This record gives sequence, C-alpha cells and structure tokens, in this order.
Amino acid sequence: MNVPSSESRLTNTVLFCRALRERGVAATPAEAVDAARTLNLIDLDDRQETFLSLRSVLTSRVEDFENFAELFEEFWCGLGHRAEQRKNVAGESRLTRRREVRPSSREFSEKGLPFFLDNWRAAPNDSKEINIPAASDIESSADKDFSLFGADELEEIARLARRIVRKLASKPSRRWKPVRRGSRVDLRRSFRTSLRTGGELVQLSFKQRKPKKTRLVVLCDVSGSMDLYTRLLLQFVHALQNSLARVETFVFSTSLERITGRLKNKDYERALESLGETRGWSGGTLIGPSLAAFDSGWPNLVDRRTIVIILSDGWDTGEPEELAASLARLKRRAGKLIWLNPLLASPEYRPLTRGMQAALPHLDLFAPLHNLQSLRALERHLVL
Amino acid sequence: MREEVRQIRELLEQQAYVTDAAVATSLYLAMALGKPLLIEGPAGVGKTEIAKVLAFALDTQLIRLQCYEGLDATTALYEWNYPRQMLQIKLQESTPGDAAEKEASIFSEAFLLKRPLLQAITDPNRSPVLLIDEVDRSDEEFEAFLLEVLSEFQVTIPEIGSIAAAHRPHVVLTSNRSRELSDALRRRCLYLWIDYPSFDKELQIVRTKVPGISEPLSSELTRVIQASRSLSLSKVPGVAETLDWAASLVALNAAHLDREVVSETMGCFLKDEADLRKFETEAVARLDEMMSPGS
Repeated sequence: MNVPSSESRLTNTVLFCRALRERGVAATPAEAVDAARTLNLIDLDDRQETFLSLRSVLTSRVEDFENFAELFEEFWCGLGHRAEQRKNVAGESRLTRRREVRPSSREFSEKGLPFFLDNWRAAPNDSKEINIPAASDIESSADKDFSLFGADELEEIARLARRIVRKLASKPSRRWKPVRRGSRVDLRRSFRTSLRTGGELVQLSFKQRKPKKTRLVVLCDVSGSMDLYTRLLLQFVHALQNSLARVETFVFSTSLERITGRLKNKDYERALESLGETRGWSGGTLIGPSLAAFDSGWPNLVDRRTIVIILSDGWDTGEPEELAASLARLKRRAGKLIWLNPLLASPEYRPLTRGMQAALPHLDLFAPLHNLQSLRALERHLVL
Repeated sequence: MREEVRQIRELLEQQAYVTDAAVATSLYLAMALGKPLLIEGPAGVGKTEIAKVLAFALDTQLIRLQCYEGLDATTALYEWNYPRQMLQIKLQESTPGDAAEKEASIFSEAFLLKRPLLQAITDPNRSPVLLIDEVDRSDEEFEAFLLEVLSEFQVTIPEIGSIAAAHRPHVVLTSNRSRELSDALRRRCLYLWIDYPSFDKELQIVRTKVPGISEPLSSELTRVIQASRSLSLSKVPGVAETLDWAASLVALNAAHLDREVVSETMGCFLKDEADLRKFETEAVARLDEMMSPGS
C-alpha cells in the first residue's frame, strides 16, 4: 500500500469510519481504534486480507457487507491500489455486486481520497429514494366522521380487548423472583438466612416465576381502502391501550404517526375527535415506507417480548420489495409478527395483491379481523 | 498474506475443517486483538465447529456455554454447593472454633461450583476457548450480564472477592439470528458471517469428512443439496445434513444417485414433513437435471 506512515494510516481509517457511518454502518470510535490497530497486524499488500480484516472489525451484521464492500472499493482504490482496482475481491462477488455503476465512481478512484471526500456527500443515495406511483397517492385531509357504532357492540369490543390484555399480562416468564410464600423453595436464599441461626433451617425462602412483560405494538392502516373497518379497529386498539401500560399505537396511510398519547385516558369519542385532526387519513397506502419509518424512528420499541400487530388490507401502492424488507427486519426483532386483514374473511378474497404476496413469508400469523368472532379467535394467538 | 493467517488456516485444515480466508483472518484478528468473535449464519453451516476445531488446534480446553431463555448468572457463572455446605456446618457443630472462621471455611473455593464462565477465566494453565453457543436464544438480561464479563474478564463473588482472568480465554459466540442481538454486544465483537458453502467448498467438505465416498457420488449428492437450498424449504439442509446423507449413502453402498435411492434416503437431509412432500413432487422428478453440472 502506498500509505507509508502510520499517522496518515490512522487519519485514513478515521475518515473511512466516518464515511461508513454516513452510509448507515455504525462504526464507533472504539472500532476505529481497533481498525487502526488491525492495520498494524496484517499484510497490507494483500488486498483481500485487508478487506476481510477491516470488514470483520468494522461491521457487525451481514446486512452491512454490501455497503462496506462498495465503500472499501471506492476508498482504498483511491489510496493507491489502482493496479488491482478492477479485480473483484475473491469470494465476495455476490455481496459486492452493484446494482449500477455510479457515473462518478471512476473519478473517485482516479483522483483519490481528497476528491472522494469532497464529493461523496453529493453522491446520489439510491436507497433513500422512494418510488411513489401516481395512482391513489393523493393525501386527502377530508374530515371524517367516526361515530356510528352501536353502544352495545362497542362495549363488547372493549371487553374482549381487556380480556386479551389480562392474558398477556399474566403469562409466567422463565426467570424467578423471591416471594414470601410460594410452592418452590429458593435454596440459595434459604441457606443464606439459615446462617443467622447457625445453619439451622428455621425459615424457608420461596421463589416464583416472574410474570412475562409482553408489549404490544399496533400499526393500524387508516387509508381509504380501510375506511369501513377503521373505526371498529380503532375501538379495539383504544380499549387495548387503556387496559395495559405496554401498548404502543401507530396509524399509517402514506405516512406514519404515533397516537399512543392521544388514545390514552380518554373516552373513545374524545379520542376519535382528537384523531380526526390527523392529516392524511383515508388517502393511499404506503405500507413499506411506513413500516420502515417505524423501524428507524422507534427502534427500541420492538424486542423479543413484543407482539407486533399490523392491521391492514394489504392494498399497498409502494414497492413490494420494500414492504418485504421492512417486514423481514421487524420479524427479526419481534417476538411475534401478526397481520390482521379485514378482507380475508370474504371467501372470494385471496391474498394476491403484490404487497400481500411479499408480506406472507415473514408473518407468524395472517388472520381475518372483521367482526367480533374474529376478535375472539385472535385471543389465543396473542401469547408469546 | 500474513504468515499467522496462513498458519491458522493450515491448523484448521489439519483438523479436517475446510475453511476459507474470511474464517482464518477473523480468527487471527480475534486472537491478535484479544476480542470475542461473533459468528452468524444459517443453522448447520459449522459455526460451532469453528470453536471446537480452534480448541483442538491450539491444544487447549474447550468450555461451552449453551444459551437458552432464562439462563442466568447462577447457571452461567457460579453457584454454591449448598448440600455440601450444610453437611460441613453439621460436622463443624461439635468442633470448637470461631464462628467467623467457620463461615469463611464454607465460603471457600472448595464449595464453589464453577459454571462455564467462571471456569473459562480461572483456567490456571493457558487460555481456553470459550464457546458461547446460540447466544440469540438467551434473553436481554443475560446478554447485559455477558457484556460485563466479556469487557473485564473479571467477576466478583461477594464471599470471596474479585477473580480476574489469569489467561484471557479466546471467546467465540455463535448466533442463528432468531432474534437481533444488542448493538452493544455486536460492537464488542469482531464479526464473521458464514453462509452455506459454495459447491466446490461443500464437495471438499464431503470428501474430507466422509473418506469412503466415491467421486461421482460425492459430486452428485452435493449438487442435489446445493439445488435443494434454492427450493425455499422451511428447513434448509445445512452441511451437517449433507454429511449425514453422504454417510448413509456410503453405508448403503450406493454408487450413484437415482430416484429410488433419493426417495428412500431424503429423510437424512429433509427434517420436515412438508419439505419432504415438496421435494418429492418438485425435485425428485427432475433429479437428472439437478445433478448435471450445469444446473
């Protein structure tokens, strides 16, 4: 490598890490230090070894590999590996394969690092572009009247929601907690207390299973095609929200909005009133981008004790690939991913819309939700 | 290539572990930088095997901690041997002596049950290999605890005091990605992704691990396995399944694959009823096409 001094090597490493961060690969300062240490430990003339070593140190998930490979190519080529620059890194052809060659990437490699640093910010970031078809994507802010449901039915929905929540809150986890009275003896604590009485077991200590803390995240589609069902579903969500602390609610059509706070501690009518102010209701649907927005905006809401429920008919005007990718990401983190589709109840319906097709492989449960009966059926699936 | 990387590669291959530059480089760096190595990849690609082979190659002890949900510090780190302590107290009752002294004696190392993590940092002779297997199966509480141990290689037992590692273990963590690990844990580790092997690599593995296999049979079955991975099965066969199948075919004295043999033995690499049916209808009929080198 034509970078002799370790000082400039360090500078380059830091710049490289910064460029990685800008691309969404989280390389921390600690990792930059490790990367710099690594460069002293390896054979820098072996391009493949440099690539594999830095990738091992600076990335932490396979999804970062493609970004890393692209940036590595641009960056280290510019630093003097020109002779080798067109050679593909062995064994990584699948990951380094580019969707398209950027017009400026040759310039990057020819003019080297300074040019790269001056211009790479300006490089088009194709992953952030969202393809929006023209069809039904007009955000309509038309005022909608939500209140038409009979009071008896509303009460039934609320009752069901409360039952589900009770069940969610009472599942035992696999961890123990000490209790005053119980059926399982806690040997460890019993023994410790027995020392006070000279090793005589006077009083036993007990333990029991900690209750599982399950969180519910509800993502409710409020686009035009869902009009008929939105009110019923929101009633359900509203009841859930007010019986359990660990429920988070979002609505989406062409964009995503968190409504947890608005649903809390209000009666249903007032909650609806405040929701009526939300823009973009009953417009088109972009499920993929909405889920992606949820994923990036609230990354800590979903863990393995979270059940994610998507309420939507799957009439998506976005790209199915984006929807599939967002769902796959959610599925990896969530304990359970459930899609409830009001259209599924109709016997003629087949989940053939492109969006639904892309979604199906990532779901733990795909079920109808259109009446009280389907709500009851849902109850047994809401366990982890 | 750095000499050490070449050596590691040779060491692994001496243990009949077919490897590549990515594995050897990551292992070298993990040892040189003294950092844990996180290995991810689909099930059955030989993630766990790396730790075993490494321990064997370094001629050191392999300490394995299998993770599961609810795994906690007492199972992973240490526990007092209560029955023995009880017995000791009863024995001491009749002997004269200071109470504090008696207590100190029952909370000594003799009554300590060392679990894998404590074993790994108290090895008196040399650095062992600590394999933390399927860390994605443990829960967040345990992950946080693990993070603490892995950053300091030191644990505190209230009755005894701090115990620091005399020889830092080589730590290998594996994950099947059944859940997302925390960023904090990921950042502390070097990262290695192992995918299903390419045809050439898998063929080499089959020939290394199943010595009696004939050349045509080994390449035929490897082709079928490689093709079956693109059938979107619910349980994609891993390398372990390939080897099981190869060993079974050798035991049955099969010289070539044909439809009958495949139908009879496909249970070796398909572990799901629906997959078996799918394979029967979609793959067995076009077996010749699957086995041809061009596919």
